[in-house]
Amino acid sequence: MVTLLAPAFFYVALAVAAGTVALHFIVTRQPTSSPLPTVRFVPRGTVRVVTVERPRDLLLLLLRVALVLLIGLAFSQPVLVPERRPVARIVLADVSRAVGSIEEVRDSARSLLGEGDVLIIFDTRARVIRAGAADTAAALVRSGEEGRLTPALVAALRAAGELRAEADSIEIAIVSAFRASQVDGATQAVRALWPGRIRLVPVAAGADTLGVAHGAEVRGPGGDAGAQDGVVLAARLAGLAAADSAVRVMRGAVTAEDSMWAAAGRRTLVRWPVEGAPPGWRERARPDTAGAVVAGGAVVVHPLERRWEPDPAAPAARVVARWVDGEPAAVERVVGEGCIRDVALPVPERGDLVLRPAFGRLVRALAAPCGAVASIGPGLGEDELAALAGEGPLATQEAIARAERVRLPLVPWLLGLALLLALLELWARRGARAGASAGDGGAEPEEAVAPTHGGSGAGAGRSRGVMAGGEAQRA
Amino acid sequence: MTTGKAPEGVTGTAGRPEPAVASSGSAVRSLLRVYAPVLDAVRGMGWPARERVRSAVAGPHPSTVRGTSAEFVEYRPYRQGDDPRRIDWKLLARTDRVYTRLSEEHAILSTVVVVDASASMAFPPKTHGKWEFARRLAVALAAVARHRGDPAGLVVVGEDGMRVIPPQTRRTVLEEMMRALEVVPAGSPALAPAAAEAFRLGRRVVLITDFLGDAEALLASAKAAMASGREVYAVHVVDPGELDPDPKKLLVTDPEAPSIRRPLPARVRREYQRRFGEWRERLAREWRRAGAVYAMVVPGAEPLRRTVRRITEAGGAPAGVATGA
Repeated sequence: MVTLLAPAFFYVALAVAAGTVALHFIVTRQPTSSPLPTVRFVPRGTVRVVTVERPRDLLLLLLRVALVLLIGLAFSQPVLVPERRPVARIVLADVSRAVGSIEEVRDSARSLLGEGDVLIIFDTRARVIRAGAADTAAALVRSGEEGRLTPALVAALRAAGELRAEADSIEIAIVSAFRASQVDGATQAVRALWPGRIRLVPVAAGADTLGVAHGAEVRGPGGDAGAQDGVVLAARLAGLAAADSAVRVMRGAVTAEDSMWAAAGRRTLVRWPVEGAPPGWRERARPDTAGAVVAGGAVVVHPLERRWEPDPAAPAARVVARWVDGEPAAVERVVGEGCIRDVALPVPERGDLVLRPAFGRLVRALAAPCGAVASIGPGLGEDELAALAGEGPLATQEAIARAERVRLPLVPWLLGLALLLALLELWARRGARAGASAGDGGAEPEEAVAPTHGGSGAGAGRSRGVMAGGEAQRA
Repeated sequence: MTTGKAPEGVTGTAGRPEPAVASSGSAVRSLLRVYAPVLDAVRGMGWPARERVRSAVAGPHPSTVRGTSAEFVEYRPYRQGDDPRRIDWKLLARTDRVYTRLSEEHAILSTVVVVDASASMAFPPKTHGKWEFARRLAVALAAVARHRGDPAGLVVVGEDGMRVIPPQTRRTVLEEMMRALEVVPAGSPALAPAAAEAFRLGRRVVLITDFLGDAEALLASAKAAMASGREVYAVHVVDPGELDPDPKKLLVTDPEAPSIRRPLPARVRREYQRRFGEWRERLAREWRRAGAVYAMVVPGAEPLRRTVRRITEAGGAPAGVATGA
């Protein structure tokens, strides 16, 4: 779309062109006199004449109007601005485990997405889908990861920068369960970077399985459930021990039968060896002592010795427990329909750590069913949701970034064309004068003057004139 | 065309012959290319005198002089002073009375064509239709006269004065006339002096003009000439654009007096036509009353041969054109 940076020049040119046309048709002039030998028989006296002539010298008029318009257009600096839609939408679809029903997320996202809109799928990461966003939204799959709004908002800000040239306004819509666990300290700061309001589309949250009471079969180093092992003891104290459960905590050796047991159903096998590291871990070069460990909502503050670290060569796994400095302390891998959770957390034989409730909660978190180690937490409060949604209109593309304008190389061409038209106008004007002077006597009026009507020096259109003796009057 | 310089073989205003300029073959061919259709149109036409010619030079027209030619007319009793050779001796022997034998004499009628080359004849401006027609008509009439043996002359009255070719019968007189007529009409010269010169040179004078100059003086001069036995033909050249001016012309100017400019809208045009018609009627009436042959000619209205015949057969109204007479 072509727009003008200085349209005032073009408006002035339009006015001048209109004036030129008006003068061409309105202004009176002395008519061309023609010789007539028998003029003596033409009576004298006052003569009133009203005539309507056919427009003439239209080529000259056209050249003049085009010349004026071209100059005005050149000075108004035409630029090319890409066409924009009224609203472009960025839909942030939450596929984390905080969402109760992924179907609800699909439906909401599909209803929001339109042609050219952007879909951002987020859990702990954010993935931007620009092409085929609606189709992608129809095939969303719940990831089981935690949901994080901050990276999703950052991705939305970046996508908005790319969309700013395509629409007048940009709207961000978030389809999420909006749980407390999905926001962090940077969420509001990132949100403040967005200049418009955000549409919040809440969906039902998933069940907080961590808080649901469940049992676990905890086997000691010898494979018996009654061994004097700290984890076994803590499980008993936490009321976790159960003879027949979908969760099996193995403190001793793990057999292939145990792995098949986990893979055969939706079961969880927790490998937490008393000695040594579970498979997929290696010994640290320099064992140290970490002050605390966190798993789900459980935090144990204790100078635990850190001896192992995840082997980089091992398959990727989801971290379910971290040391206080962020290093993994336990990971989980999907096996068949279940999962195997490896815990590299030494349990001190001395002290009363295993007797503390915090340790019991840690054991409960590590013995939680697959994908339920971390708590999704409660929902966001009204104030938090209002702050996230914001107020006011949608973000305009001008607020996001200055619109890109492509300067057209038209100005020199327009001026050159105007110069050419000026030369043509000169040529046409000389031709018109030569034609007019062919039948003109060229004498000054003395006896009688007959000014009638005509144009602005060259052309004459529809006009009216009055001849009264030797004077001309407008009708 | 040339202006201001007299063509070869043409006498000036004072009647002195101007130095002859050798005519080039191409110029002659150019003239003949223009006038050849004119000469073809009038071939074989005659122009009888309206009355007996008071001349003794033998020619085609009946003369008022009774002579001794073979064409017997009557006997007249002998009177003192008659030529004894004209006495019919046989009749004297039979009747014993002396009779003189009278016979019919034929004489020439010198013809002079006066052509008005004033600015008003250069109309319409683009074609000069009036002038082109007038000069062709002048050559045509001179050719008709010379064809029967009459001397033909020319007087052209233009901005530079009048140019006179005395009546002659030699073969090149028409060519001299053609060259003399190669002028551009301009100015507003008086026609009466030229007519007086023509009346002096010829017995038959043709005035080809639009009568927009000194018409009164011209008529007075012609009356005097006709009283002395001259035949006068007044050929009034009127352009169709004068009879019915172009409606697009809203302001008209007199070409002979550019200061005269008058508006000519539709309503005024009707009044103009009425006045112009009345003037033509009065003009024709006065000239005919004076004894002249008046003929109004309109360029392009009829073939040239018909126009010449209408003039040479003692005048009449052109077909389809009101003369106002």
